[in-house]
Amino acid sequence: MEKIKTSVVGSYPMDIDTLGIMMDYFDQNENKSWNNYIKTAVDDMVKAGIDILSDGQTRDPFIQLFARKLVGCRIRDRVEVVDKIRYNGPITVYDQKYVRTVIPKNKMLKGVITGPFTLSKSCINMHYNDEKSMAFDFAYALKQEAKKLEKHVDIISIDEPFFSNEMPDYGKELIEIITEKISCPTMLHACGDVSSIIPDLLEMPVDILSHEFKASPYLLDDFRKYSFSKGLCLGSVRSDNQVVESVEEIVKHIRKAIDIFGDKIVQISPDCGQRLLPRENAYEKLRNLVKAGEIINGR
Amino acid sequence: MFSFTKKQEVLDISGIKIGGQPGEQPTVLFGGAFFKGIPDFKKTEKDIQNMLDLSKKTGNSSIPDFFIKKEEDVEKIIDFIGNTLPKNQPFSVDIIEPTVKIKVLEQLDKKNLLNRTIYNSIHIGITEKERKALKQHTPDMAIIVAFNPKDKSPDGKIEVLENGAHLTDKGLLAIADELGIKKVLVDTAALAPGDNSGAAISAIPVIKEEYGLPTGCAIHNVVEKSTWLNKYFESAKKTVDVSSNVNIVLFGGDFAIFGPIENADLVFPIIAWQDILVSEYTENYFGVKPAESHPRRKFF
Repeated sequence: MEKIKTSVVGSYPMDIDTLGIMMDYFDQNENKSWNNYIKTAVDDMVKAGIDILSDGQTRDPFIQLFARKLVGCRIRDRVEVVDKIRYNGPITVYDQKYVRTVIPKNKMLKGVITGPFTLSKSCINMHYNDEKSMAFDFAYALKQEAKKLEKHVDIISIDEPFFSNEMPDYGKELIEIITEKISCPTMLHACGDVSSIIPDLLEMPVDILSHEFKASPYLLDDFRKYSFSKGLCLGSVRSDNQVVESVEEIVKHIRKAIDIFGDKIVQISPDCGQRLLPRENAYEKLRNLVKAGEIINGR
Repeated sequence: MFSFTKKQEVLDISGIKIGGQPGEQPTVLFGGAFFKGIPDFKKTEKDIQNMLDLSKKTGNSSIPDFFIKKEEDVEKIIDFIGNTLPKNQPFSVDIIEPTVKIKVLEQLDKKNLLNRTIYNSIHIGITEKERKALKQHTPDMAIIVAFNPKDKSPDGKIEVLENGAHLTDKGLLAIADELGIKKVLVDTAALAPGDNSGAAISAIPVIKEEYGLPTGCAIHNVVEKSTWLNKYFESAKKTVDVSSNVNIVLFGGDFAIFGPIENADLVFPIIAWQDILVSEYTENYFGVKPAESHPRRKFF
């Protein structure tokens, strides 16, 4: 059995020194680079022993992170789509390139793209006649980001939490637009209760599926009913609960999943992004995840 | 020239009116005292008197903007404000350090000066202790600095007013409201040259159209930081610094934080002149009547 890699889903909690930012502004100093925050998040992941890291998505929540850089979106209290959505240049690429410079060579890097359906459901549509056209334009724009990203990361993950609420009949097409002809492995992360859309997920044109099996352990039994041919990233610690799971608890959870998925489990990770957890707890969860992974991998 | 479709607020602090449609109220001018952090009371008293005389001549109201940098200067400066300014004269306190801000609020309350105070400023760096102090010692008016490090465009400035750009628990306007500050001025946060400095000016009509709130900025900061101006045109620097404030009036702004109070002699006539031009146009085209104190009524 191949070694199961430890991974993160995307976001990591970070305290931003807003007073320091304002001091720089008043002194008319150039703003200190955001790289400090990225490095702090990444250092935590490295220190915890995670194999596949993200940039921590410290700049913004995952909707604003992409909407901020896309033509056609403007940010008010919520994101508003006010014109045709178009790509306007790299969104996360520079941060990923920076991360590559500060992580050990044996670590892998995960590029995370907020999915087109989730973006379309999260924005206020003030331009398109229908939501579907908006979602497709998001997908075409994100494709360009994926093409740029593939050169700098080891895997690209598309984050589509809204699939668990509603799987549109064009969901597969949206994902296909992004993943087609992408040279690195691809992943679809959909948290929440995905039990009703498992057949759709199994058809998705990605290499790996990623779901929150720890908060929704019943998903293990739901997936058991289907033949599973993709790789699986197993959500193994909760992202919606501050309680840090013990190593034993995580090992037990992974073993149960191995009974069902066997060697299809290629990654273990938190259930979702950890942005809303206290940093200390987020770190401890990663640390225990790594320890559990070591036990599972027979070290 | 233009007029806003959104109803424009005209706020009053101790008899000075700020806001409204372009051409309605005279531009209010904030002159900075103790700019370098060292209080020179004798000189500043003269400078303030000069600025107040210029207000009488032009109709453009003055707000002395007191820089307070050190805790040990707080009592002296507040005493100076209480003893030197005319009885109803509003003023602003321009402070960066949160501990100094808190001490100043306490002193202003103690000396019964909060009803004339413009608190400069509320921004994303507001601390919990500062919020508590503002709730306890609430100034009549505050300036909100709409600086958004994530997006320096006019939209970014609106974002930080709306929701704090996810750097604060809520938008800066909501924070001010929660603290009981009912009168707010929006500072569009001028930035260094090459760092979207023009956005501070272009954001003025955007923010006024969105909220109808009195809006302005300290655009002279941009000039002050210009390296090429310092290097190649040193003799023109003051002219450029002073005249940069004209942009605020042209873009419908309501106040200019024009920098050192020593520049008042140059700033007041330029702004009065600009106010007159704008008023002529907006009255002819939009029917906006200039206020009684407007420079246009003083000189023509």
